[in-house]
Amino acid sequence: MIITTTLYDQLSAQYAERETATAEPWLSRLRANAFASFTANGFPTTKNEEWRFTNVTPYLKEAYQLQPAAPANGGSAIDLSALDAYEVVINNGIPVELPVAKGLSIHSLKEAANSPIVQQYLGQSINLSQQGFAALNTALFTDGLLIEVDKNASIDKPLLITHHYNAAWPFFAQPRLLLIAQRSSKLSVIERYVVDGQAALFVNGVTECVVAENAQLDHYHIQATPTNFHLVNFTQVSQKADSLYNNHTYTLPGASLVRNNLHLDLQASNTESHLFGLYLAGGSQLVDNHTLVNHANPHCYSNELYKGVLADSARAVFNGKIMVQLDAQKTNAFQQNNNMLLSDKAVVDSKPQLEIFADDVKCSHGSTLGSFDENALFYLKARGIGEDSARNMLVKAFAFDVTQQMPIAAVRDCVEALITQKMESLYDRV
Amino acid sequence: MENNKSNDILDDYIDKEYEFGFVTDIEMEVAPKGLNEDTIHFISAKKEEPQWLRDWRMKAYHSFLKQPEPTWQNFELPKVDFQAISYYAAPKSGAKYKSLDEVDPALLETFEKLGIPLSEQKLLSGVAVDAVFDSVSVATTFKETLKEHGVIFCSISEAVKEHPELVQKYLGSVVPYSDNLYAALNAAAFSDGSFVYIPKGVRCPMELSTYFRINTQNTGQFERTLIIADEGSYVSYLEGCTAPKRDENQLHAAVVELIALDHAEIKYSTVQNWYPGDKDGKGGIYNFVTKRGVCKGAHAKISWTQVETGSAITWKYPSVILQGDHSSGEFYSVAVTRNKQVADTGTKMFHIGKNTRSRIISKGISAGEGQNTYRGLVQVGSKAENARNFTQCDSLLIGDRCGAHTFPYIESKNNTAMIEHEATTSKIGEDQLFYLNQRGIETEKAVALIVNGYAREVLNQLPMEFAVEAQKLLSISLEGSVG
Repeated sequence: MIITTTLYDQLSAQYAERETATAEPWLSRLRANAFASFTANGFPTTKNEEWRFTNVTPYLKEAYQLQPAAPANGGSAIDLSALDAYEVVINNGIPVELPVAKGLSIHSLKEAANSPIVQQYLGQSINLSQQGFAALNTALFTDGLLIEVDKNASIDKPLLITHHYNAAWPFFAQPRLLLIAQRSSKLSVIERYVVDGQAALFVNGVTECVVAENAQLDHYHIQATPTNFHLVNFTQVSQKADSLYNNHTYTLPGASLVRNNLHLDLQASNTESHLFGLYLAGGSQLVDNHTLVNHANPHCYSNELYKGVLADSARAVFNGKIMVQLDAQKTNAFQQNNNMLLSDKAVVDSKPQLEIFADDVKCSHGSTLGSFDENALFYLKARGIGEDSARNMLVKAFAFDVTQQMPIAAVRDCVEALITQKMESLYDRV
Repeated sequence: MENNKSNDILDDYIDKEYEFGFVTDIEMEVAPKGLNEDTIHFISAKKEEPQWLRDWRMKAYHSFLKQPEPTWQNFELPKVDFQAISYYAAPKSGAKYKSLDEVDPALLETFEKLGIPLSEQKLLSGVAVDAVFDSVSVATTFKETLKEHGVIFCSISEAVKEHPELVQKYLGSVVPYSDNLYAALNAAAFSDGSFVYIPKGVRCPMELSTYFRINTQNTGQFERTLIIADEGSYVSYLEGCTAPKRDENQLHAAVVELIALDHAEIKYSTVQNWYPGDKDGKGGIYNFVTKRGVCKGAHAKISWTQVETGSAITWKYPSVILQGDHSSGEFYSVAVTRNKQVADTGTKMFHIGKNTRSRIISKGISAGEGQNTYRGLVQVGSKAENARNFTQCDSLLIGDRCGAHTFPYIESKNNTAMIEHEATTSKIGEDQLFYLNQRGIETEKAVALIVNGYAREVLNQLPMEFAVEAQKLLSISLEGSVG
C-alpha cells in the first residue's frame, strides 16, 4: 500500500512539471526510471524489512514545501573554526561558495550535469528499486555538488562541506553529492549541518562516492542539529582496486529522526574500508544506522565499529550487513556494535547480519547491550569522583574507541567537545 | 595434488548414501489426498475426537486458508501443493497395541533397523519410547513404570480421550492455531504425536523418547507434541526422525509445545535425520516445524538441544517465552548442511519476567552446496529487569560453494538488561590440520576431530544415548569433508 500524503502528491506534481522541461536525454531517462522505482513502492513503511523499526510516516505529514525560504545565515552548532580547510557552503541545497584548490575541482551539479563524468557515474551504483528515498532524490534533485580529485593529487587541506538550511517554513530538501577520487588521489571530506528557523525540515540526501584505484577517501559526517531536523541520508561508495575508504559518522542529540544508509560496494580486490560510527541520542530521538558492505572480490578487508549511548526515551536501530560473495575468497570482515542504555525508556534494536557464500574467509560480528558497569562506577566513586563525573568519564571512555579513530585533531577535538557538552545537558534532565 | 585428493574425498562424502532410506512394505490405510473440511472430519472421526477439538481444528483450517505464504525466509520456498498430500496414513492392523507381541513384525523390524529395538528396550538403558509410524503412534514402552510415578506418557490421541482436561487447557496455549501457516496446517490436520505430563515434584525416572518415521509415499507427517511439567518437576525428552528415500519431497510440519510451571525443568533434545534428498537436491523432507516453550512459573527452565543433519530444508526456531521471574531458557544447536540442503534455523528468546536468563549456542556446518542460516531473536521487554542473554553463533565452511548466514535480531527495552552476541565464520584452519597431520593423524580423522571439538559444547548437552548417536551421525556427515 502506498501511503499518500500531500507530500507524495506534491512530489508527483513536481516530477510531472519537470518532465516537460528539457533535459539531457540520459538524465531524463535516469530520472524517469528512478521515479518509477519510487512510485512502485512509495515511501517505505514498517512492513519493509529495512524499515521495520523506523516509521517515517509521521515525519512526512508536515505541510512541507519544495521551495526553500530565503538563504540561511546563522552560526553553527559545530565549531570547526580550528580546522584549516577548503570550505563549501550549500545553502538550502544549492552550492553558493565554491573554493578553488589545486588538484580539486568543485562544481555545482546542476551546471555540470552535461559533463561526461556525471553521466558516467550519477545514479549508476545505487539499486534504485530497493531504495525508495534514493530513487526519489535521483528523480527530483535540483542541485548539489560534483567534487573531483585529480589523478595523483593529494589535497593538502580537508574539504569542509556545510549544509546550511533555513527552516522558515516546512521544507523538504533533496541535495545530491557526487564525489570522485581519481586514481592514487587522496582527500578528506567533512560534512556538517547548520539549521536556522524552527519549522520542520526534511533532508533526503544522497551522496555517491567513487574511490578509484589506489585512492584514499576519508569521509566525516557530523550530525548535531535541532529537533526540527529530519534526515534520511544515503551514501553509496564504490571502491576500486587497492583503494581505501574511511567513514566516520557521528550523530549527536537533536534531530528527531536520523536515518543513515551507508553502502559499500567493493568492486575490485585488495581494498580496505573502515566504518566508524557513534550515536548519542536523547529526548525522543530516533537514530537508525543501516550499513551494507558488499564483498564481491577476493582479498578485501572491512572493519566496522558502531557505538551508541542512549538517554531519555531515545531509540536506536543498528543494522549492519556484510555480504561475502562466492568469489570473495580471503575476505576479512569484522563488525561490532555496542550500546549503552542510560535510561529505562531507551530502546535499542540491533541486527548485525552476515551472509557468506565463500569459504576461505574470516568474518565475525559482535553486538552488546547494557548499562554502566557497576564495578567501574564503584571504583571511580571509591576514589572520590562524584557520580556525574564518573558517569561522564565512563561514557567518554566508551566513545573513545570510536573518536580516537579520527586522524584530524581539529575534528576530533570538536566532536569530543560536542559529546561532553551534549552529555552534560542529558544529565541535567536525568 | 592435495586439493585433488580432498576433492575426491569430498565427492565420496557427497555421494554418501542415506542409511535409513529403505521402505517398509506394510499394509497401510491411507486417507484420500487433499485437504478440505471432509479430511478434517475424517481424521477427527478416526480418532473419535470430542466436539471441542473438532471445532478447534476447523478454526485452524479456516485460519490456514487465510494465511499467505511467508516471504521472509532466506531460501526459495518451494511450492508445496497441499492438495497432493495425504493427511492420514496408518498401518492397517489396528491402531494401538497392548503389548509388543501384537505389533506387526514388519513394523518391529523397521524400528529395529533404525536402531530402536522396542522389544529389547527393557534390557537397555531405560528410555521410554513412543514410536510414531506415519500418522499414528504404534507403541509406547515402559508405560507401567511411568504410571507408578504418576507420569503420563502416551500418544496425544490417547491423551485426548483419557486426560481431556489437561489437553484442552494447554493445547494451542503456546503455539496458537493462527501462529503461522504451517502451525495452522498442523492444528487442522495433526494426526498423532506425544503427550507428556509430569506431576508436581516428580523427577521423571527415565528419559522419554519419541521416534518418528515417515514411510508411506505422498504423505505428510503432522504430529503434535505437548509436554507439561508441573511445579518442581523435571523431564528430559528426546526426539528422533527418519524417512525412506523418495524422489519427491515430503512435508513434515510438526508443532511442539512445552509448558514449565514454577521450578519445573524441561530438557528437549532432537536428533533430526530425515531423508535429505540426493546429491542433486532431488527429494528429501521439508522440515517446517514450530517449536515453542513457555516458562510460565518462577525459576522454570526450558532447554532445547538440536542436532540437525537431515531434511532437504530445515526451517524452525525452537523458542522460549520467559514469563516467570528468574526463569531461564537455553538453545544449543548443531546444524549440518551438505549437498543442496538448506537450514534456516535459530531461536527466539522472549524475556518478559524479571531476572530472566537465556543462553544461545549455535554451530552451523556447511559443506558441498549447503546453505546454513542462523536467525535469532532476543527480545527484552520493559519489565524484564536484569535480563541476561549470551549468544554465540559460529559457522564452519567446508568447500567453496556453501554458504553461512546470520540474522540476529536484538531488541531491548530495558536498560538493566545485559545482552551479548557474537558470531564468527571461518573454514577449518590449515594450521590446525597441519598440527594434527604432523602428529600422524590423517586429514579425514583430523577434520572429524576438529569438527567434533567445534560441536562439543552442544553435543555435551545431549543425554548419553543420544550423544553417541549424534556423534556417529556427525562423523558420517563429515567423512571426507576436507576444506
